[in-house]
Amino acid sequence: MIILQLVVNGVLLGGTYILLAQGLNLIFGVMGIVNLAHGAIITLAGLFTFWFATKTHQSPLLLLPPVFIVMLVVGGVLQRLLLEPLARLGRRGELLNLMVTFGLSYVIIETGLNLFGSQYVSLPDLQTTWAVGGLAINEALVAAGVLGALISGGLHLWLHHTESGKALMATAQNPTGAVTCGIDVRRMRGIAFAIGSALAASAGVLLILVIPLSAPTADTLTILSFVIVALGGLGDYRGAVMAAIILGLVQSAVGYYLSGDAEVVVPYLLLIVFMVVRPQGLGRATR
Amino acid sequence: MRLHANQGGKTMLGGNFLGRAGASFAALIAVFVLFAASAAQAQQPIVIGASVSQTGPLAVDAAYHLRGLQLGVADANAHGGWLGRKIELKYYDDQSNPGTAVRLYTRLITEDNVNLVVGPYSSGISQAVAPLMNKYERVMPAPGASLPAIFAPGNKWNFQLLPPATGYLEGILPLAKSQGAHTVAILELQLGFTLACGQAREAQAQALGMPIIYGASYALPQPDFSSLALAIKNANPDVVVLCSYYPDAVGIAQALHRIGYAPRFLSETIGPAEAEFISALGPIANGIISNTSWWPNLKTPDNAGFIARYKAMFNNEEPDYHVAATYAAIQVLGAAVKATNSLDQAKMRQWLLTHEVETVEGVFKSDANGLSTKFGQYMFQIQNGKRFLIWPISQAEAKTQIPYTGQ
Repeated sequence: MIILQLVVNGVLLGGTYILLAQGLNLIFGVMGIVNLAHGAIITLAGLFTFWFATKTHQSPLLLLPPVFIVMLVVGGVLQRLLLEPLARLGRRGELLNLMVTFGLSYVIIETGLNLFGSQYVSLPDLQTTWAVGGLAINEALVAAGVLGALISGGLHLWLHHTESGKALMATAQNPTGAVTCGIDVRRMRGIAFAIGSALAASAGVLLILVIPLSAPTADTLTILSFVIVALGGLGDYRGAVMAAIILGLVQSAVGYYLSGDAEVVVPYLLLIVFMVVRPQGLGRATR
Repeated sequence: MRLHANQGGKTMLGGNFLGRAGASFAALIAVFVLFAASAAQAQQPIVIGASVSQTGPLAVDAAYHLRGLQLGVADANAHGGWLGRKIELKYYDDQSNPGTAVRLYTRLITEDNVNLVVGPYSSGISQAVAPLMNKYERVMPAPGASLPAIFAPGNKWNFQLLPPATGYLEGILPLAKSQGAHTVAILELQLGFTLACGQAREAQAQALGMPIIYGASYALPQPDFSSLALAIKNANPDVVVLCSYYPDAVGIAQALHRIGYAPRFLSETIGPAEAEFISALGPIANGIISNTSWWPNLKTPDNAGFIARYKAMFNNEEPDYHVAATYAAIQVLGAAVKATNSLDQAKMRQWLLTHEVETVEGVFKSDANGLSTKFGQYMFQIQNGKRFLIWPISQAEAKTQIPYTGQ
């Protein structure tokens, strides 16, 4: 039963990781933009959710649609103002992207600190634990996992089965070729960053129900998201799902059989191993 | 030989009337300038310097630490200040980082030239800055330092304003044993104070004949405690003793709930004392037991006034023992300044080593190494979203609710 519970814990943890990573997967994996502000967006959304829920005493889940829509617009504006001008600079633009998003992350973190303070906060919603055949399954973790799965599935369907999604994939694979096919690559870049940001913010709305958040935890979330995206293979959604689940399972087992300290190190050890053994990641996509 | 007087105003001695007048006038000017400077100095405020963890993992608890300092300074100024001078607080954010705190205290002492210093929040950071006080020979009341190792032989200038960490949750095992509990699990965050607390509880469990059937340590940040919770559930101890700060106190309580496990006694340090703890966990917090060195009903001087002024200053918020400890630090500093009628660090140090000070937290008295010897240890339990003192039994406000249910 312990092993089964460890598997359940690992899968649920992996579900949380899927939620964290898919927004970044779109921006980094497809667009090649290293968005160091990813964790900051998640955290700010989580802190805003905490503020909303404690002030209005309403369910935090009510925020999911408006947060997604607002961040869609904000993400699009940020991309147009800060990152699009760098797109014309080629390889030099990649380093500048890194620096711009690094600065953006600290602007967002400082905004969070000023608006919501530096305290760790969390919400006691969705705390029901179901006993299923001797296993304990928590509502908040299931919700995070379900949303992560819906996001992954939705992204996959959009990118591979819709015209706009295929246009985005074409832009990622060959911008020049995409232009010659009449695709507005500038618009595609804006859409990708906007949707990626919106997904990150949606992740933050649920994450505050799973773990305590504070403004300075943004960096930890960014690093963890990058590890998952890298393990899965850049831009590969199935790979990211597999990576998140495997990471969750390994951490769950290591945390139980070894220690909590060893559990924290697992993502980074796995990253080293994969970069040596299978640098293209778990998925089939390569860049 | 005749004195030739009044030849151009000169005398045998070489004096010149105008020269003497000029010298006298210059002396008068000098006296006036010195007097003015002294008066100006007397008008300058006494500056107390500190670093505070306004960001980072310690920020929740350190916010209370800061507010206690602010209230202490405000109250001292309301009573005319010290030595006829107002008091100012000058602080910087150490980001919960010991290295940063060391740099900040160096800056406060050598660049900002603060008159006095107060210690930072947490034993880890206090331990990092303690040698600096010995180096610069500065009296430092340490209201965030429960780690006894800081106040070991060799320490001369740091004074503990909390009870030692070895006493945190010292009541939980005797209390649990009296209720028929037998087995224990002890978990500790890997920081100086929490490790000292955990080691003391291990020794106590052995002395009481209570077997420790599970033990673990962990570090922060730790986004997932589910494996730790599962291991505790698997061991199924009667008593869980968690030597923690705030984020892990919340995280482990959540993880235990998510795994569907509730030990008979769940006790945690630090976290449950903060107002945010109950709102963060909701019903899960009910039944958790924690420690404190101060309580609203303690019969200490002006305790009720302290609470009323704190609530008036900070939006009706309830103070906790961190507030009381830093407020007490200001009281101790003030007592030493007034008793020695100076800011002389050596005199203040000698006075503190040989005197007691009544504070809102209790009686400050230190041994030769600055270790506090008279602050009390208490335990409270969260019941229906409120905190009640349950130990010592003689001062209990409510009966201990057993078992812990998290509902």
